[in-house]
Amino acid sequence: MQAYIIRRLLLVPFTLVLISIIVFIFMRAVPGDAADVRCGAAGNFDQQCFDVVREELGLNENKFNQYFKWLGDIVLRGDFGYSLSQRAHINEEIGKRIWNTAQIGLLSIAFTLLIGIPVGMVSAVRSGKPSDYILRFLAVMGLSVPSFWIATLVVIFPAVWWGVRVAPDWVGWEEPLTHLQILAIPAFIIALAGGGTIARIVRSSMLEVLRSDQVRTARAKGLRESAVVSRHVFRPSMIALFTIIGLQFSLVLGGSVIMESIFNIPGMGLWVISAVGERDFMIIQAVVVVFATWFLLITLLVDIAYAWVDPRIRY
Amino acid sequence: MTTADEIAGSLGLEAQPSFARRRLNALGRFVVTQPLGTIGAIIIIVMILGSVFAGQLNTVDPKTSIREAGPLDAPNGDNYFGTDRSRRDVWSRVLYGGRPTLLIGFGAVAITMGAAIVLALAAGFLGGIVDVIISRLIEIIIAVPAILWLLMFTTAIDRSVQTLMFSVAFTFTPIAIRLFRGNVIQERSIAYVEAARVIGASGGRIMFRHILPNLAPLVIVAASITIPAAMLAEAGLTFLGLGLEPGTPSWAQDLGPSNRPYFRLAWWLVIFPGAALALAVLAFNFFGDSVRDVLDPRLRGSGLI
Repeated sequence: MQAYIIRRLLLVPFTLVLISIIVFIFMRAVPGDAADVRCGAAGNFDQQCFDVVREELGLNENKFNQYFKWLGDIVLRGDFGYSLSQRAHINEEIGKRIWNTAQIGLLSIAFTLLIGIPVGMVSAVRSGKPSDYILRFLAVMGLSVPSFWIATLVVIFPAVWWGVRVAPDWVGWEEPLTHLQILAIPAFIIALAGGGTIARIVRSSMLEVLRSDQVRTARAKGLRESAVVSRHVFRPSMIALFTIIGLQFSLVLGGSVIMESIFNIPGMGLWVISAVGERDFMIIQAVVVVFATWFLLITLLVDIAYAWVDPRIRY
Repeated sequence: MTTADEIAGSLGLEAQPSFARRRLNALGRFVVTQPLGTIGAIIIIVMILGSVFAGQLNTVDPKTSIREAGPLDAPNGDNYFGTDRSRRDVWSRVLYGGRPTLLIGFGAVAITMGAAIVLALAAGFLGGIVDVIISRLIEIIIAVPAILWLLMFTTAIDRSVQTLMFSVAFTFTPIAIRLFRGNVIQERSIAYVEAARVIGASGGRIMFRHILPNLAPLVIVAASITIPAAMLAEAGLTFLGLGLEPGTPSWAQDLGPSNRPYFRLAWWLVIFPGAALALAVLAFNFFGDSVRDVLDPRLRGSGLI
């Protein structure tokens, strides 16, 4: 187990370096760069400005040197450098934004489980009954109806009909309630899709456990059905969740990018979208590396927890 | 002369129904046992026909404004779904708007399945260093959220339908490889593979002639469940204004930034394209679920698909 964790931890930097190379190549293949955007914005392209800006941003350097300087700064000093268009320090920006995205991510994972597990359990226990059909239908609805459409409707119609502002302007923790409201609504909308997926998985794995010999034995010895479910069915059927929760984290981050743009939340997602428009590949590179690091560490934690919950798993 | 049927009859065996007959029976069984899947299939067919024959369905050019109509006209007899700010017909935009989304859904999944089959066979059957390399690549692709891959592709290459199709396939292939690879490894240890090897079949022949046919049900199920996911991936990106070229009629495009300021004034702008997209994804999911139940019930809730 320890050897496995160490091996996995050693693989993380390896994977990250490969990702950084791919992202770097991608971003240098982009036609036009930040100098074009800055000096050609007014319609008339300014060659002098272009030369100055390119020199200043180090874009005239050899690509290899650029890459190794970038990677070296990150590895040695944890420094992502400066953004190209705003001249802002990327680390500072990340420090301001990452927590907003992390809050949306964690909230929506929590909502996903809070929606998915009970719905799946009720559906399995009442399998074949009308309530099962209704819940299953809702689960498919949840994972089918595009979250950005739901979010758009939620922002527009309450405002038109009742004059209610579902998405207030951004405020930080100074106003905790509004702040939570701004974060919780998008998190909940993201969770509808994940909740549908989780509900389906919980239902089918629970049905499998309900048919197993150990459950028949538990019933045969006269245990109440509620005790059978809570003691003999719940834990083994939750194990299936661990195999997909890592993928859910990735989906939640993707969903957060969309939600931040609809609800105007200053997180990593909104930042990366505006960076695309400004051809600011330093920001895109940084966001990709941060998200990938995040994802790799979380999947590692999930795998360790998996082994801990299910004693049959040995790495 | 006696026909095979008569001989069979005289022996008390039932005549084998013809191939077409058997197919028809299978279809009938599907309709009876899978009502939701059948409804899904009908909706899919209607939507495909609607977008293919959009030109014949009382539409006008979705990109040009209509002289007679005003901006933001409510739905009426001439413009069934109303008009948008530039006096373009929303009904036409919804019908034509299905084309890119459906095309990307089908195309991306076709590429995904082709690539995933070859790579999963290589990883699972050849093993060794090939398996290690493919597994590492999978890890790299999965570690970055799909939407970031997509926007990197569209920024670095272009925003055409082909590029989007390819990039959506790129993000789904690793998931499909993981699913298929496990099955290839299971199949590899079954006696028929050993038998083929004993009679001298080459590795390629075993992979494509012996193992591949046994993966077919899994591939069909994975494909039918990946189509809606691929459509949503493209829609999400286009909605952000980073997918298809601005102006292209597409469901997600019309829900995006260019129309957003007018949703408060004109509900038809947000309801019709959104409902079309949601209905399409829903129909594919219902159909995919039924295909899975019929072909391989063990896959129910396997999580990956």
